[in-house]
Amino acid sequence: MRGRCLIGLVDILLITLLAATALVIIAVRDLFAAVMLAGIFSLISAGLFTVMDAVDVAFTEAAVGAGISTVLMLGTLMLTTSRERRGTARIQILPLIVVTLTGAALIYGTLDMPIYGDPQAPVHHHVAPEYIADSPHEVGVPNIVTAVLASYRGYDTLGETTVVFIAGTGVLLLLKRPRREAGAEPTKNTSGDQNQTASG
Amino acid sequence: MLSPGLYNYWIVVVLMMAGFYTLISRGNLVKKLIGLNIFQVSVFMLYISMGKVQGGVAPILIGEMPAHGHAATHAAHDIDSSHDLHHDVHAKESPPRHPNESEGVLSDVLPQIDASPSLSPAAVQLAELQKTGDATIVYSNPLPHVLILTAIVVGVATTALGLALVVRINEQYGTIEEDEIHVMDPEQP
Amino acid sequence: MISQHLPILQIVVPLLAAPLCVLLRQRHAVWAFALGVCWASFGVALALLLRVMNDGPLVYELGGWAAPWGIVYRLDPLGGIVLLIVSGVAALVLVFAPRVLDQEIPADKHYLFFAAFLLCMTGLLGITITGDIFNVFVFLEISSLSAYVLISMGADRRALLAAYRYLVMGTIGSTFILIGIGLAYMMTGTLNMADLAARLGDVHETRTIRAAFAFLTVGVSIKLALFPLHVWLPNAYTYAPSMVTAFLAATATKVSCYLLLRLVFTVFGVPLVFDEMRLAAVFMPLALMAIFVASTVAIFQTNVKRLLAYSSVAQIGYLVLAFGFASQAGVTACVIHLFNHALMKGALFLALGCVAFRIGSVDLEDLRGLGRRMPWIAALIVIGGLNLIGVPLTAGFISKWYLVMAALEQREYWPVAVAMLFSSLLAVAYVWRIVEVLYMQPPRPSDLQSDQREAPVPLSMVAPTTVMTLGTVVLGVYPTFTVQVAQRAAEFLLGVAA
Repeated sequence: MRGRCLIGLVDILLITLLAATALVIIAVRDLFAAVMLAGIFSLISAGLFTVMDAVDVAFTEAAVGAGISTVLMLGTLMLTTSRERRGTARIQILPLIVVTLTGAALIYGTLDMPIYGDPQAPVHHHVAPEYIADSPHEVGVPNIVTAVLASYRGYDTLGETTVVFIAGTGVLLLLKRPRREAGAEPTKNTSGDQNQTASG
Repeated sequence: MLSPGLYNYWIVVVLMMAGFYTLISRGNLVKKLIGLNIFQVSVFMLYISMGKVQGGVAPILIGEMPAHGHAATHAAHDIDSSHDLHHDVHAKESPPRHPNESEGVLSDVLPQIDASPSLSPAAVQLAELQKTGDATIVYSNPLPHVLILTAIVVGVATTALGLALVVRINEQYGTIEEDEIHVMDPEQP
Repeated sequence: MISQHLPILQIVVPLLAAPLCVLLRQRHAVWAFALGVCWASFGVALALLLRVMNDGPLVYELGGWAAPWGIVYRLDPLGGIVLLIVSGVAALVLVFAPRVLDQEIPADKHYLFFAAFLLCMTGLLGITITGDIFNVFVFLEISSLSAYVLISMGADRRALLAAYRYLVMGTIGSTFILIGIGLAYMMTGTLNMADLAARLGDVHETRTIRAAFAFLTVGVSIKLALFPLHVWLPNAYTYAPSMVTAFLAATATKVSCYLLLRLVFTVFGVPLVFDEMRLAAVFMPLALMAIFVASTVAIFQTNVKRLLAYSSVAQIGYLVLAFGFASQAGVTACVIHLFNHALMKGALFLALGCVAFRIGSVDLEDLRGLGRRMPWIAALIVIGGLNLIGVPLTAGFISKWYLVMAALEQREYWPVAVAMLFSSLLAVAYVWRIVEVLYMQPPRPSDLQSDQREAPVPLSMVAPTTVMTLGTVVLGVYPTFTVQVAQRAAEFLLGVAA
């Protein structure tokens, strides 16, 4: 009983912190602060994932979301600028309407969902029980998530690796400095480009 | 009373919309990507919420691996022996083990998940369906976790690409505000 | 033995070729390698299509795990023809590629460019052939990320912002699709499309499934560039390198249309979609608006690439209109138009690529008198334009014919048929603008002088353009192949959903 109360309290505390962080991110203008808060958001959500029994997801989110994403964004800020311009801080009507409609559609969708944690939910009675029951002898790894990720649905993991590869290729294509090679600079710019940094 | 019901999902929807709003209303290119990140993480929370089973534990098998006769035998035996290094207390215990004494790897870190006495009949039914060998251990659903692991990686790849584009845009235009870019290269219909 | 594994080879060959391209730095070698891979993929796609037409749907279990515990590939005639389009266009565009790339992209980045191109093709093929809905999401992301990268390589700096905008909108679309998958999974517990279709029968009245369908549809519509979610398309197509525009215009939106067809007819089924949720009431007006608004905006464009981009938005409207009829004739018309439009637009953008190569611009002002300066290419552009209008003897006419027939089949839709005919007049207007500049206006003396200095367009560029354009004429005169495949595709699509 005490265990359950404690989990419930931790749940509520984490979610409240998340909501507060999200709201502050919208408002704050210093991009450095926004990036740090986004990192905090990822970390708290990692905590929430742990409470929801998703331990693999939690440490992946902590490493990738709070770690890598934050580093990438800080790198970008270093190369660009660190303050958002005032003027875009006022409330905008059209985005607000779109967001409200989408939110309403989602909440409409949640009304028939099985309640949180319900063991009778359809997801627990099809496909998943067989994963849990059969993976020890079919795959042989104690972590069932690993068994599914690497064996049953290993193809998706291959796809995910490819996504990382394409992102790497893309970043190279975009940011790699061209070596001084004959006929290597066809970039033409339309409106007189005073900020072209020297390439090469 | 402390079981959140649908309330959990509603908070996640609010977080999603906060991220979505940042994404579509802000003009700063980096801020938009931050909003995108928040939007995506909140979607992940929605998925993980649906995988949770009340009274369940993380989907990592607790205790000995059941006997089997495949090529996987060797692998499992090796894993079993390293398993034993972590918790050799119950190496030879016979099932069913009382979950309160469960020494899964996380038991030192997390508060005791009080499964057995208050497992609902539905959860017991689920435990039987999961054939875990112990009718009082219920595992949370592993499939949403798998999907989200992939989605997290896809999300960071997109963010990386977006940030690379922002760096290049800054090189070409000298700014990362959309309004200022439109002044330099006016929008055509 | 290989023939057993053809479905997976379709994906694995280009997938593994991409990292090899990165290792194989030398740009001519990489081009030759990528060309070989694309033609091999085309061969595999052709073999798969023929097999599916003769023997019925193919099922392939990846890793030997049965559905729904593993991922399963499922191919029917609709998938087969889309595979053919994607690999065929890729193969032709790659023949076109080397000379034009030398002009548009720094030489030391070609190997990365080809790797991205191969991955884009892989992603599109992967979406088409899979039977698992989360697998669709993963491959959708592969193709989308590569598309963002490819578009950003355009020479004009506006390509960067266009790519960024596309990235933001595209990721919103993908996230909506992810939400939709989650909601559908939550109520059924499975990710396999056939299994999902079977289990949705029990839960289709729930609000969660309706929300799932809504999110999936909106997400795919963003990728499809259905009005009013098309705003990323004009800039992306205008500023991307010419071969990228040709490839994406002919394939990316077609695959999204395939995905929509698959979701509507195979997964969710006609009763839920058209009767309960009345999708037609939403899609038909949007499609009509797409056709009329986009065609009208096209008339006022000065950049021909942008004009054709808006024309694409209008043609997508026709596609959506066709399947909005929810009948076998409608789906047949949709598939026929899918194929023909891929060919038409691919040909037109390749021709524009030739023009840009020679004279360095695609503004109407600079195209004056092109009929005399580049007669063959100008003729090909005119044939492409005739396709867009729907003149008899072209593939465009076949599409329009089947579309109008599908509309007339259901009595209440005859105003739609009239609207379609009227929209052809708008197409005449924007095609006439191009033709007038090409043939009715004399070339400027400065242009004639600079033409002397420029090299003629090489055969490697003219040949694929000619093949695609003449292909539209051949298919306009002998449409049997397309019609047969389309009819079979429609039968399977609607039969399965029963």
